Amino acid sequence: MILPLKNTEGHRIVTEWLSSQKLQPFSFQEETWQYIIDGKSGLVNAPTGCGKTYSVFLGSLIQFINLHPDDFRKRKNSGLQLLWITPLRALAKDIARAMEEAIAGLEMNWKTGVRNGDTQTAERSRQKKQMPEVLIITPESLHLLLAQKGYAELFSSLKIIAVDEWHELLGSKRGVQVELAISRIRGCRAQFTNEPLQVWGISATLGNMEEALAVLLSPLNQKGKMVRAGTKKEVYKKHYAASEYKLNARRSFLKKETVGEGMIIESILPDEIEKYPWAGHLGIKLIHKVIPIIRNSRTTLIFINTRGMSETWYQKLLDECPDLAGAIALHHGSVDRELRYWVEENLHSGKLKAVVCTASLDLGVDFRPVETVIQVGSPKGVARFLQRAGRSGHSYDTDSKIYFLPTHSLELLEAAALKTAISRNFIESRMPMVLCYDVLIQFLNTIAISDGFDPGKVFQEVSSTYCFKDMSGDEWDRIIHFISSGGNALQQYDDYKKLEWENGSYKINDRHIARRHRMNIGTIVSEAMLKVKYVGGGYVGVIEEYFISRLQPGDIFTLAGRNLEFVMIKDMTVLVKRSSAKRSIVPSWFGGRMPLSANLGKVLRETLTSVKSEKQIFGSDPTLSNTYSESPELNALLPLFELQQQLSYIPKENELLIEQIETEDGFHLFVYPFEGRLVHEAMAALLAYRISLQTPITFSFAMNDYSFELLSDRPVPVDDSNVYELFSPENLMEDIQRSINSTEMAKRKFRDIAVIGGLIFQGFPGEQKKARHLQNSASLLFNVLSEYEPENLLLRQSYTEVMEQQMEEARLRDTLKRIQGSKIIIRFPQQLTPFCFPVKVDSMREDLSSEKLEDRINKMIMQYEI
Amino acid sequence: MQQPLKHIIRENTFWLSPDRVMYWEEEKSLIVADLHFGKTGHFRKSGIAIPQNIYKEDLQRLVSAVQNFKPQQLIITGDLFHSKANKELDLFLKWRNDLSSLKIHLVKGNHDILPDEWYEKAGFEVHQQKWEFQDFCFMHDPCDPDQRSKQTMTYSFTGHIHPAISLRGSARQSLRFPCFYFKKNYSILPAFGKFTGTHLITPEEGESAYAIAGNRIIQVA
Repeated sequence: MILPLKNTEGHRIVTEWLSSQKLQPFSFQEETWQYIIDGKSGLVNAPTGCGKTYSVFLGSLIQFINLHPDDFRKRKNSGLQLLWITPLRALAKDIARAMEEAIAGLEMNWKTGVRNGDTQTAERSRQKKQMPEVLIITPESLHLLLAQKGYAELFSSLKIIAVDEWHELLGSKRGVQVELAISRIRGCRAQFTNEPLQVWGISATLGNMEEALAVLLSPLNQKGKMVRAGTKKEVYKKHYAASEYKLNARRSFLKKETVGEGMIIESILPDEIEKYPWAGHLGIKLIHKVIPIIRNSRTTLIFINTRGMSETWYQKLLDECPDLAGAIALHHGSVDRELRYWVEENLHSGKLKAVVCTASLDLGVDFRPVETVIQVGSPKGVARFLQRAGRSGHSYDTDSKIYFLPTHSLELLEAAALKTAISRNFIESRMPMVLCYDVLIQFLNTIAISDGFDPGKVFQEVSSTYCFKDMSGDEWDRIIHFISSGGNALQQYDDYKKLEWENGSYKINDRHIARRHRMNIGTIVSEAMLKVKYVGGGYVGVIEEYFISRLQPGDIFTLAGRNLEFVMIKDMTVLVKRSSAKRSIVPSWFGGRMPLSANLGKVLRETLTSVKSEKQIFGSDPTLSNTYSESPELNALLPLFELQQQLSYIPKENELLIEQIETEDGFHLFVYPFEGRLVHEAMAALLAYRISLQTPITFSFAMNDYSFELLSDRPVPVDDSNVYELFSPENLMEDIQRSINSTEMAKRKFRDIAVIGGLIFQGFPGEQKKARHLQNSASLLFNVLSEYEPENLLLRQSYTEVMEQQMEEARLRDTLKRIQGSKIIIRFPQQLTPFCFPVKVDSMREDLSSEKLEDRINKMIMQYEI
Repeated sequence: MQQPLKHIIRENTFWLSPDRVMYWEEEKSLIVADLHFGKTGHFRKSGIAIPQNIYKEDLQRLVSAVQNFKPQQLIITGDLFHSKANKELDLFLKWRNDLSSLKIHLVKGNHDILPDEWYEKAGFEVHQQKWEFQDFCFMHDPCDPDQRSKQTMTYSFTGHIHPAISLRGSARQSLRFPCFYFKKNYSILPAFGKFTGTHLITPEEGESAYAIAGNRIIQVA
């Protein structure tokens, strides 16, 4: 029987409270509330900043009030009612604050709790004794909760699991963690209640909303409801039409904003276009154009793609505007968390004029004082750009504005493409991950250290998730075998110990193993990090060991916006002194570099086509050169295009450009598919392999989002007679597998997999010392497994991941098919062209050789210089 | 398997084998460094499933080297065992029993943390810091300042750093191989155990290095 929402006590009480705040619910919120009281599950598709938190949270309160209409105010210690999973720690506090406001307004006795890596031990044990009604948690901390003895009982009263920012989690291993946790909670909750568990996702718009819903609800084995709020402008328009109340713009609940529709993108154009766009140089040069923007805006967020560049930007801004010292801040993943909190607090209160940040501020509730967003460098995708644009708190009836600042001139082309893509609402899909054995192995160990697990029961649960629905019984048996007996062993000479079989379940009893496992829970694998502290005490942040290992005592480096002098490393801690030196080294971080999305790549190629047609007009009538184009970016780029056309060619949408250029480095082959770094990496390996089948030749590779390069010490035999064959999609799988066997790709993937799967013990910064004899490098492990246990599941997974994510096999296949249907244009420019420059300076290189090892060694010896 | 290469030091002949061992012809001695036996077992005991075949193959390689060269003594310049005792060492002891006539000198390395009685029971002659024999000295860590000051006259054989050399070609290619590294007054042997990392070295003028590339050994400097 469906109970109409409006007839319920819960709805009456909640809307009364809202009215007292001069607020009225949005229609998508009421739609969600109705589904929640009906016991349904689903996905709310709503943009940030228009009450998506309240859609599920108030629904949960209404449900509770309806169940206890007489004493809902008095009831306390009701046990966990709502589990709120959020991807970012930084979000938890703000969400808790918004929820507490509502709870206090309704005079209810619910408590909210936050649980993540920053939660103090005392608070954790309080929660263990008495769970709050709402627990806000990260996927990692949720798994840590499952590693706690007696965890099942915590979920006995649970009604709803909410997964916030599902679009961020889907498509990552953290999403798989969420899937597994839902399946386990559902399974262990069944011993306490027959009531079905409800799961609600909250997501920004993706290209594949239906799939996002299906993945989330897969463990419940039901279809679920989709609630679509529309864009912010639509949400508010609809609301205004129905509402007789005045909106109270002060409240986060009804903050007014627009995203997508009504957004203005302005590129910051250099006064003079460099015809040769060296990567990474231009951004800082444009700083003088950024300063007036900062000065004229209340608060500005400056998004930088890498932590290293954000340090540089922060320094430069301070150098240029010393008067803004104290009003400019830096926010990225390696900055001390206290400092990050401080930055976030001061963003809320409007005390900061500008914050230089990385993806660390991508998500979450908006900072109201932020009026302006500047994106430095390519955002790589439409969705990400929209998300960042949405950080600014413009009033809903004016357009929001985001500035795009290119780091090399070709990126202006990307800005033009972004505008087109946004106007078409051409948003990327997120592909869910499947068969992540590393995450499964970690999860099984997790539940083995708390209460142990019954393999039959857990197999049912695990295979109810989307990620593992296609896992065979045989594969499951091999995983259990791997974690219980440790793969290949010498029987009587083996001490392997992990899972032990005890009263019908697998358990981990060894305290040391359990402790190490707890420390290792999570799927975000970072480089080995060291703590950085002042000699006189005081914590600065963390830094990659790799970076520090190259420094000498006395060297100056920059971290968290401070210039520091390296003194020494002691007990795995980097000791530093303050430095007033002007010059310093900026650390490089190996952050995940996002490839250009397929959507953006497609629009980019179209944009080039329009350049081409402009060029033709311009060619016949030079007076039109500066006035024809409606796109300021393309206009600015005309000199560069001119040079490119003169030296080589500008490819149209249905063309693929290949350039062969000889320099003193050797013979370069540049190919321009505009398909993103990952696909290019795979194509480079494939092409190198196929060429080398015809003639023994060795290459090194480089690639960026637009193109890739093969470099050899002899001419590369690619011409009209063989080029289509070389790009053929036939035998793709076989050729790729052969070509990547001799590369480092799988090895690089393997590092993360080995850490997640528990083969490499990472420890915490500063704690490695205790486990000295357990240190191990991923590349060594990869080599020995390849040699001694090639059938190892995690090793195999690294190859699968290389195919599916690294190579983006499906996209690669599409690209090759597209190329077969296009015209391939081969040019032999006499000098380097503007298009090839960014990739030329990209240093990421890989080896692939078909020459016999001996020949290669001999060749190298001849050239080897001591 | 390629034949070992000859390297002469102070009129003595040393044969370098791609099996990561060195044979001293005049004294009929087999010299090895950094075997790290028991390392896979140490990991496995902690719940990290490293395949034990690595260890099995290491042992077999040592056995076949002993059978090939038929040395009178085996000299180990440290890090014979990776960590504390475990079942894998029982397998080593079994092998030791079968070859009880072979004299073994162990110069202790930083990883050799078993009690001295253990080594004595296994029939080793243990040397705490170094062992001087004929005109040569055997020690573990080439960078140990206390020992280095005393070794200027004698030539030393050391280990510890697991040397490797990177060979570069044109087009910025490079490959990395374990190596034997001979400096003026001392040499550093490659790690014998396969489950070990490596440290890159750069030979200077007048020094020699031999890279181990699969089954081959090649002089590269």
